[in-house]
Amino acid sequence: MLWVDHYRPRSLDDLHYHEGLSDRLRSLAASGDFPHMLFYGPSGAGKKTRIACTLKQLFGPGVEKLKIDQRVFLTPSRRKLDVNIVQSNFHIELTPSEVGNYDRVVIQEILKEIAQTQQVDLNAKQRFKVVVINEADSLSRDAQAALRRTMEKYMSNMRIILCANSTSRLIAPIKSRCLLMRVAAPNPAEMKAVLSYVASRAGAGSIPDEAADEIISDANGNMRKAILVFEALKMQTPDLSGPLSIAKPDWETYCHKVADMIVKEQTPQQVMEVRSKFYELLSHCIPPTIILKTVADRVVERADESLKADIMHWAAIYENRMRLGNKKIYHLEAWVVKVMSLYKHFLFDIDMTGFED
Amino acid sequence: MEVEDEDDKPVKKKPQAKAKAKPVLSPKKPPAKAKVKPARTKAPKDEEDIDEKPEPKPNWAAAKAAKLAGPSAPGSKAVPEPASPDCLAGLAFVFTGELSSFSRDEAVDLAKRFGGRVTGQPSSKTDYVVLGDNAGPSKLAALKKHGLKTLNEDEFLNLIATRKGPKGGAVDEKAKKKQEKEMKAIRDSAKEMEQREKEAQTAGPSKTPGYGFRTRTVDPSSKLWTDRYAPQTLKEICGNKGNVEKLRDWLNDWCVLPNDLKSGFKKPGPQGMNVFRGVMITGPPGIGKTTSAHLCAKLAGFTPIELNASDARSKKLVENSTNIANTSLDGWMGGGSSTNAAGITITDKSCLIMDEVDGMSAGDRGGVGALAALIKKTKVPIICIANDRSAPKMKPLIACTFDLKFRKPEAAAIRSRIMTIAFKEKMKIPANVIDELVTGVGSDIRQVLNMLSTWKLSSSTMDFDEGKMLSKMNEKYAVMTPFNIIQKILGPYLFSATARETLNEKMELYFHDYSFVPLFMQENYLRTIPARVRDDDGPLKILRQLQLMDKAATSISDGDLVDALIHGPEQHWTLMPTHAVLSTIRPASFLYGNGAGYGGPNAMSFPQWLGQNSKQTKLNRQLGDVQIRMRLKVSGDKSEIRQSYIPALFPHIVQPLMDDGSSAVDEVIERMDEYYLSREDWDTIVELGVGDNKEDLVLKKIPAATKSALTRKYNTSEHPIPFHKAQDLGKAPKKLAGGPAPDLEEAFEVEDDAVDDVDDSKKASDQDDIKNDKLILEGGSKKKAASKPTAKGKGTGKAKK
Repeated sequence: MLWVDHYRPRSLDDLHYHEGLSDRLRSLAASGDFPHMLFYGPSGAGKKTRIACTLKQLFGPGVEKLKIDQRVFLTPSRRKLDVNIVQSNFHIELTPSEVGNYDRVVIQEILKEIAQTQQVDLNAKQRFKVVVINEADSLSRDAQAALRRTMEKYMSNMRIILCANSTSRLIAPIKSRCLLMRVAAPNPAEMKAVLSYVASRAGAGSIPDEAADEIISDANGNMRKAILVFEALKMQTPDLSGPLSIAKPDWETYCHKVADMIVKEQTPQQVMEVRSKFYELLSHCIPPTIILKTVADRVVERADESLKADIMHWAAIYENRMRLGNKKIYHLEAWVVKVMSLYKHFLFDIDMTGFED
Repeated sequence: MEVEDEDDKPVKKKPQAKAKAKPVLSPKKPPAKAKVKPARTKAPKDEEDIDEKPEPKPNWAAAKAAKLAGPSAPGSKAVPEPASPDCLAGLAFVFTGELSSFSRDEAVDLAKRFGGRVTGQPSSKTDYVVLGDNAGPSKLAALKKHGLKTLNEDEFLNLIATRKGPKGGAVDEKAKKKQEKEMKAIRDSAKEMEQREKEAQTAGPSKTPGYGFRTRTVDPSSKLWTDRYAPQTLKEICGNKGNVEKLRDWLNDWCVLPNDLKSGFKKPGPQGMNVFRGVMITGPPGIGKTTSAHLCAKLAGFTPIELNASDARSKKLVENSTNIANTSLDGWMGGGSSTNAAGITITDKSCLIMDEVDGMSAGDRGGVGALAALIKKTKVPIICIANDRSAPKMKPLIACTFDLKFRKPEAAAIRSRIMTIAFKEKMKIPANVIDELVTGVGSDIRQVLNMLSTWKLSSSTMDFDEGKMLSKMNEKYAVMTPFNIIQKILGPYLFSATARETLNEKMELYFHDYSFVPLFMQENYLRTIPARVRDDDGPLKILRQLQLMDKAATSISDGDLVDALIHGPEQHWTLMPTHAVLSTIRPASFLYGNGAGYGGPNAMSFPQWLGQNSKQTKLNRQLGDVQIRMRLKVSGDKSEIRQSYIPALFPHIVQPLMDDGSSAVDEVIERMDEYYLSREDWDTIVELGVGDNKEDLVLKKIPAATKSALTRKYNTSEHPIPFHKAQDLGKAPKKLAGGPAPDLEEAFEVEDDAVDDVDDSKKASDQDDIKNDKLILEGGSKKKAASKPTAKGKGTGKAKK
C-alpha cells in the first residue's frame, strides 16, 4: 500500500500537527454533548483523517470496521441512481454530490431513515449516530435548505459532520448550526516533521533536508501530495541525494503545455488548439477550476510584470463565472482570448516604443 | 437570402424564355410599378433605426448621421423610371460585393423585376457583373477569365433608366424568333388541352377505363386546377424526366420477355431495375410523384389501383385487399366487372400504387412489413410513394424496391407549363413573376396552381410585387439546419452595412434550433475572416481582430450565464431572447465575414462540445467507481483520486507492464488488490491519463500478450471485494418522490401519491422475499454460480478487517 495510506494516523493522539484542534476534539468527544460540526480547509490538510480520529475517540475501534453499501434510487423520470454509502455500526458517510441534481431527495431519504432508527447496540458509547457528508460545498442550494431543518429535528438520534474545502458555498443557516473546525494546511516545519516520521516508519532512514524542502515547496501545503511525491522520489533514487527532479503529474504538465501555447502565439487558430487541449483535460476529469488556476499560474510566471495583475484579475472573474455557468469551456476560452488580447497589446506596445527610440 | 449561391441557379437554364413571354403578357405593368416604387426606396431609411448592430456604447445619433452622410448611405439612390417595363429582359446579371445604396436582396429584386436573370457565379453567358465593394475574389477571377462587362451601382441604375426592352427592338432577330416559337407552343398546348377536355366530356364514362361505372363525368370548370391540368402525357410532366422514363420502361418491361415477371426477375435490364418487383418514389410534396406514377401506369396499359393514407393499411388489410385473385361477387352483381374483397376493380393488368407509405403510422400496425413481404412475391408491379426515404419505418421497403428519387424541378422546367395553364385561363402573368412564385414556394407545382386559381378569383393579371407578396404569404416555413443557420449568421452579408434584417429577424435564426445554434456559434466563431478588420493591415489588424474575438468570447460567456438561469432550478424561460442575442447574434456581429462557406479557409464544423461532454460524463462515472472501491483505504474524493492518486499509482500498476512486460503481472495484481481495484478499474486508470500518459500512447507500449496475461491472471485468481454492486444483489430500487424541484412554486406538479404508496409497499414485500436475493441461491444450482457467495464472504471478511 502507498505510504500515505499506510502511515495515516488512526487516533487523535497520533496526529502530528494542529495540537490545539486535537485537544478540542478530544474534549468534545468526551463531553457527551457533541455538536454538529463542519470541517473545512484545503485538500490534503487532514480533514478526513481528523474526522476519522474523532469518530474513533467517540465510539472506539468499532468505527474502523467499514463496509460499503450501494443503494439504488429510481428518479421520477425512471433513471436509476447509484449512491454509495460507507458505514460502520456507529456512523455513515455519504457523498450526495454524486447524484447531481437529485442530492436533495437522496439526502432527505437517507437522513430520515437513520434518524428514525435508534442505536440498537446497547454497548455503544453514544446514543446517537454520526452522518458524515463529504463534499458539502458542492451540495445544491435545495439540498442545503433541506438539511437545515433536519439538523434540528433529529438532534437526539443523529449528529452531522460536514466536510468541505471552503465555507463560501454553504448557506449561512447551515454554518450557524455547526461548530466550525478549520483544518489549515500544515506549515513547512510541520510537514517536515511528518515526512521524517514517515521516513523512519517506512524504514527509509532519515530524509535529507534539501530533499524535504524541495518536496514541501512542491506540495504547497498538501500533505497527501507531499507524501506521495516523497514515496515516488524514494523509488527513483533510494538515497535521495543529488539534484532531485520531482515528476509532475500528467495533467499538470499538460496544463503547462497549454500555458506555453498561450504565450507563444496569439491567433484564432491557436485559440482553437487551446480549446481542444482544454476539452482533453476536462473530459479526463480534471476540474475546470484547477485547470484555470494551473494554467494561469504558469502564464503569469512567463508573462511580463505589468501584465500579471491583469491576468490574475481576469482569471478570478472567469473562475467565478465558471461556477455560475453551465459550460465551463466557454469561460475558459473567454479567459484565454482575453489574455491573448492583453498579451498582444503589450507586445506591440514594446515594439512601437522600440521604433520610436 | 444568399441569393448569390444557390437560390437562383434554376433561372440560369433558359435565358431567353422570359424575355419572349414578356411582350404579350405584361402590357399593364408600368402603372403598377410606378405606384410601388417610391414606397420601396423609402423603406430602408425607416428600418435603419431598428437595424443598428449591438455596440458596446451605442451612439445612435452619430451612427445614423454617419450612415446618412456619405454616398454609401443605404436608400440614398432612387430607382429611376425604367425606359420600358422589361428593360433588362434577356440579360444575365451577377452581383458581387456590397452596393452602397441597395442591399443584395433589393438589387437582385430590381434586376428580376425588370426582366433580368440573376445567377450566382459569372460564366461566359453572363452579360453584366455588378460590382460593389469587397467583391468576392473567386468572382473577380471568373470575371477576368470570361472578359465580362462590369457595372457599378450607378451604371446599373442607368441601364435600367435607358435600356429599351425587347419591345423597343433591342432584341435580335434570332431571339425574337425563338420567342415567337415558344409563344406558339404555349398556344398550341393550351388548345390541345381544351380539345381534350371537350372530348372527355362528350365521350363520357366509357373513355375512362378502370374506374367502371362508378365514375361520372364532371364539368371540367368545376374541378380543381390541380386535377384539371394534371399532365396527360409524359411530355407534360415537369422535371424528373429521366426518372419518369425509367418508371415507364420498367412498367413496359413487366410482361415482356425476357424481362421481369416471366424471367423470374433474374435479368437486371439496362437500368438494373428489372430485378425489382416494386419501385419506391421519394421526393418533396407537390412535384408530381403521384401524377407520374398514375400516368406511367396508364400509358403502359396497367390499371392503377391506388391506396393512400386515407385507406386503412394494416397488416391484415394489406394482405387481404391486395389479394387480387380473391374476387367477390359484389361488383359483378352490381353490373360491372369483378372486384376483389376491398371493392377494387380487377383487370388482368393491375398496378398497385401505394401512395404516402410514410404515412402508414400507428393505425396501420405492421403495414410496412406486410407491404414489403407482398412486394417480394407480387405478380403485379407495385409503386410506393413517400416523402422521406430516410425515415426509419421505411427500412423494410428500401431493400426490396428500386429507388427513384424525384427532385424539385427547376423554375425553368415548370415555367412553360404554368404559362400554358395561365394562358388557357386567360390570365396575364409575365414569366419573371411565375419564376418568383415557383421559387417562393420551393418548386411545389401543386401549390403554384392553387395560388393561381385563388388569384384568378379576384384578378387576371399579376405583377412582380404582387407575385412576391403572394409567394411570401404562401411561404412554407422551412426549418434550416444548424449548418445553414451558422453559415448565414457568420457570413459576410447579415451584418453588413446594407443588410436590412432587423434584430428580430436575426434572432429568428436562433429560434430555428435554440439548443444547437449557440453550440455551433461557439464552435465556429473563430473560423471567419472578420469583415470588420478588412481594411486594417499589419499589427493593427491582428490587434483589432483579437479585440473583436475578446468581445465575442465574453459575450458567449455571458450567454452561458443566462443559459444557466434558463436551465437552472428557476427556469427563467423568458430569458430566451437575451440568450439569443448574447450567445449568437452579438458574437456574430463582431466576427462576421468571409470564412466558412464563403470561400474562406475553414469549413464549419459540428460542435465538439457534445462528444466531449458525454465522454466526460462517462469517465466521471468510471472514476466514481474507482473512488468508491479505493474508499476503504483512501480518504480522498474523486478529484483527489484523479489528481494525486492516479499519477501516484501509475508507476506501480501500469509502468511495470510497460517496462517489464508479463513478468510484472503478479506484482501489479498485488498492488491492485491492496486498493481493491478490479481489471476494469485498471482500464479506467489508463483511460484517464492525459499528455504522456494518454491511453493510446500507454497501450502502445504494453504488448498485447502482456495485457492478456494480466486479464487471464486476474480472472483466475481471487480478489478481495469491497462491496457488491447493488444491481448484482438484485435490490429493488427505491423510488424517489420529488426529483430536482424547481424553485418556482407554480412549477410543482401535483403528484398522485396514492399510487406510489401501493407501489412502495409492493416493492417492500419484494425486497423481503428471499428468492429475490441473488446471493442466496437455491439448492441444486450450478457450480459456477456457487463460487459467488464464497467470493462475497471473503470480500466482506477482508473489508471489515
